[in-house]
Amino acid sequence: MSTEVEGRIKEKVKSFILSSINVVDFSEEDHLFESGIVNSLFAVQLMTFIEKTFRIEVGMDDLDIENFKSIKATADFVMRKNGQLAA
Amino acid sequence: MESLLTDAQKTRYQEVKKFVATEVEPFVEQWDRDQTHPESIVSLLGDTGYLGSTLPTDYAGKGWDFVTFGLLNEAFGRGSSALTGLITVQAMVSMTLLKWGTNEQRKKWLPLLAKGKTIGAFALTESGGGSALQSLTTEFRRKNEGDGFVLNGEKKWISNGQIAGLFLVFGKSEQGFVACILPRETSGLEIEPIKEMLGFRAAGLAQLTFRDVAVPASSIVGKPGFALSHVAMVGLQYGRISTACSAAGLLRGCFEESVSYAAERRVGDRNVGNFGMIRSLIARMGADLEAAHLLSYAACRAEDEHLSEAFSKALIAKYYNSQAAVRAASDAVQIQGASGCHSSSSAARYYRDSKLMEILEGTTQIHEELLGKIFIDQAGKPLA
Repeated sequence: MSTEVEGRIKEKVKSFILSSINVVDFSEEDHLFESGIVNSLFAVQLMTFIEKTFRIEVGMDDLDIENFKSIKATADFVMRKNGQLAA
Repeated sequence: MESLLTDAQKTRYQEVKKFVATEVEPFVEQWDRDQTHPESIVSLLGDTGYLGSTLPTDYAGKGWDFVTFGLLNEAFGRGSSALTGLITVQAMVSMTLLKWGTNEQRKKWLPLLAKGKTIGAFALTESGGGSALQSLTTEFRRKNEGDGFVLNGEKKWISNGQIAGLFLVFGKSEQGFVACILPRETSGLEIEPIKEMLGFRAAGLAQLTFRDVAVPASSIVGKPGFALSHVAMVGLQYGRISTACSAAGLLRGCFEESVSYAAERRVGDRNVGNFGMIRSLIARMGADLEAAHLLSYAACRAEDEHLSEAFSKALIAKYYNSQAAVRAASDAVQIQGASGCHSSSSAARYYRDSKLMEILEGTTQIHEELLGKIFIDQAGKPLA
């Protein structure tokens, strides 16, 4: 169940990034910011998308690049916020 | 555009337009000459709740949606760009604190900001480069671990700076970019008014100097390292949309006054509006007005619906509307001739104010840089 949810989250986040940025493909472990797939201007757009799509609020304590550095990290973060993954 | 609005949005728009017609437009030329707003109008804005329109009711705000906030700015933009600037910056500071402030910061400051008891200022720009955010030189230096920072540096062209009671300040540190709030009475904070601007003359611009200002940890907004990428971005988004809508309001002012002038002013035995060259100017102005309203609405609606294209919609609206406002103001002066060149003419003020709209909240050229990249990145994809 958890794997299925995680897969859906990854798919949605990746689809959002692909719809916004001109990049052919990337893996779920690729560092989104360090690799240059997205830039810092995109950070708030990604956060807003995550908040709306997964009905969570990104607060000050969540401001950590580790939470959003890759598709996998983002999915883990969303699941933690939803109580579906241990912190 | 009005056909796209809900009944509640239409009602509020009419209310604000009425307020602007009675409380702003009769006095705006005097405020422009005085280069300041009287306390009475700032107080009235606080009483009406317009300074906290988008804040939740829990913080004494009105809880309006973004579309209604846009209409508020459009209606005020028709009357006074400088006064709309006050509303813009108040929203930039308030909404940034709402998103990234601590509970203590929100409880203490948001009700005061919503009611206009405290005016906010967004202290980001420096003389070395308004749009080059990464090159900030204002510096937060760690005092002792956990004890906050010591702040040194300068900010320039800060709207509301002359009257603000609370400054949201951005700078660099060893941990990346940092944001903090500083009350006006903070020791080491010096405020010098900037006068004789081309436009927005009543907007109360100031230069700020920070000399060994002690910044306690409790005054930091958001986390160090995220001040530009996340904290400032919230305020800047409000700033862009507010300016776009304000520019649409200025454009409406140019259009309405030009149409009236063309219909009434007689040259020989003909109305000015009978001349084809005047009709051409008014045609472009009217088409630009319609476009500006629709772009403003699209940007606000995208925010209300948290759409992924909200960022680019705001850029497009600000980019287009500010340039359309400059065109319209220039044409409004042209249509009125010598009368439009006199300081008693609102067209002359529109002309001066409109140029600043191409500069504040990101210049036209910065918008072209960002939008060009966004459009190229989306090559082959449908434009949202």
